[in-house]
Amino acid sequence: MATAVAAIARPIQFEQASLWSDAWRRLRRNRLALVATIYLAVLVAVALVSTVWTPYRMSAIGVTQTYAPPSAAHLLGADELGRDILSRLMVGAQVSIVVGVGTQVLVLIVGVPIGLLAGYYKGWLDSVISFVINVFYGIPDILVAMILVFLLGPSLRNIIISIVVTRWMDMARLVRGQALSLREREFVEAGRAAGARPVKMLFGHILPNALGPIIVQATFGIPAAILFEAFLSFLGVGVQPPTPSWGSMANEGVASIQYAPHMVIAPSIALSLTLMAFNFLGDGLRDALDPRTRR
Amino acid sequence: MLTKGTLVYIGQRLVLIAFTVVAVSSVVFLGIHRLPGDALMSERLRGSAYQALLHHYGLDRPLLVQYWDYIVGVVTRGDLGESLVNRGLHITPLVLRELGVSAEVGGLALIFTIGLGLTLGIFAALRQNTWLDYLLTTTSVVGYSMPNFVIAAFLILIFGVWLDNVTGGNFYYQLGGWRGDIGQLWLPAFALGFPYASIVARLTRASMLEVIRQDYIRTARAKGLTEFLITVRHALRNALIPVITILGPLVIGIITGSVVIENFFGIPGLGKEFAQSILNRDYAIVIGVFTMYAALVGLANLVVDLAYVVIDPRIRY
Repeated sequence: MATAVAAIARPIQFEQASLWSDAWRRLRRNRLALVATIYLAVLVAVALVSTVWTPYRMSAIGVTQTYAPPSAAHLLGADELGRDILSRLMVGAQVSIVVGVGTQVLVLIVGVPIGLLAGYYKGWLDSVISFVINVFYGIPDILVAMILVFLLGPSLRNIIISIVVTRWMDMARLVRGQALSLREREFVEAGRAAGARPVKMLFGHILPNALGPIIVQATFGIPAAILFEAFLSFLGVGVQPPTPSWGSMANEGVASIQYAPHMVIAPSIALSLTLMAFNFLGDGLRDALDPRTRR
Repeated sequence: MLTKGTLVYIGQRLVLIAFTVVAVSSVVFLGIHRLPGDALMSERLRGSAYQALLHHYGLDRPLLVQYWDYIVGVVTRGDLGESLVNRGLHITPLVLRELGVSAEVGGLALIFTIGLGLTLGIFAALRQNTWLDYLLTTTSVVGYSMPNFVIAAFLILIFGVWLDNVTGGNFYYQLGGWRGDIGQLWLPAFALGFPYASIVARLTRASMLEVIRQDYIRTARAKGLTEFLITVRHALRNALIPVITILGPLVIGIITGSVVIENFFGIPGLGKEFAQSILNRDYAIVIGVFTMYAALVGLANLVVDLAYVVIDPRIRY
């Protein structure tokens, strides 16, 4: 009897699984996503290391023979000026990561508030914002970005700005859709009835509930931005020499593809693996954070 | 099918396209003309020769007059002006000729994308959870993670370098060359289309899986129809609807992707012209080609939206 009373007095402690711990558990089960995460962690580490140390100085000319094939001293060989490709690849990782993450941070800053406003307030504001979004979807993004970089001057900052200008709409549209459906839910109505201020409603109630899809979208946005930068650099309007970018390295390699294929293969594989890792991670996050849309 | 409403819709869209084209090319026109210096500075001309050249291009007039003349020229005569680097070269005929080349490559890429994507998607769905399905699903992630120039690089390595004897050295684009030269048309189109084919395959698989579980498919099977007829005539038609939603981005992707691919394979199309003109600082061509692209993308989107109506009679405009 006494034990029964004690049991009632002390409510059973369920192990509380928050959204995040639950998601983490599901993500860990997805082996591809886990491998992708490890790869990306290594990539970030390499990029960090390359800020203080690379096997050779990335812009040092003639550290070995020009077009030297891979060897023990130069694991990925040398390019047309005899620069060490591995060192340049490591520095190129910095460029890709800065562009990918920097772009998505800006896209979040621009796209989330716009999407929240459009979705929450509906009406004429939504019509205007949706019209602008549609106009932006109708323009050829890479071409506009090329012209923007050309007008602003090719620096890393301007490349990021150009990508944000041409690709902010994906996030805005997603957040708008989330806000449109969330605003009809009871907890939002309750908040409104309790007199919560609009800022509190948008960022305190709507945003946290849309966070899962937003994170997934941002994860898919990173490889898209990296790809964009690679395109720009490949065409010669992106990151300027001597700073290496995987795109411009591939472009330099194409000219000598007949006798030094390693020059184009190395950056191509680095780029593909990185994009693939982000896509697998994005798939994993989508299954983990947003179980409703599981395939 | 062509009701009055549809025609009004098409009209509205065309107006919107014209508006967008004029708006974006205005931004580009004014933006480029605000750059310091002028396009002829690099020629280091002095005095009257320089003045004569400025006058030839109308660059000695106020910016707004130049802009107005440009717009009037584009709208009334379809005249995109004259190249700043290759004097006397008119842009409109140039761009139209290059458009033909680009359309050939882009059209083939589109056929690759849709044909390959649909086929792989259908097979993956019909063999769900078999090794074939896993293979195709994984390949498709790999496919859309590879930038088109990476695919192109490997294609060139394989066919242009390692199998050089097979392709007979006729790898790159030659004006007047045989249309079937592998590096001229087929490989660029494949490299251009493959990333999007992967996306189409994923979408087709997902929507096929949804459709083939529905009752009307079971009915069709109960009627004794062959699997082929069920798949093609009954399932595919409904499964296509979600796939069509990405046709718009896909066409834009192929158009913009061609800028990279044409430069890679040396194909003398619009994309190569665009990138080279930016690097050559031939602003007149940049604006002209860009205007062309903006119109093209707008029209492509319109065609895609109209394709919905054909596939799904429930949709009306």
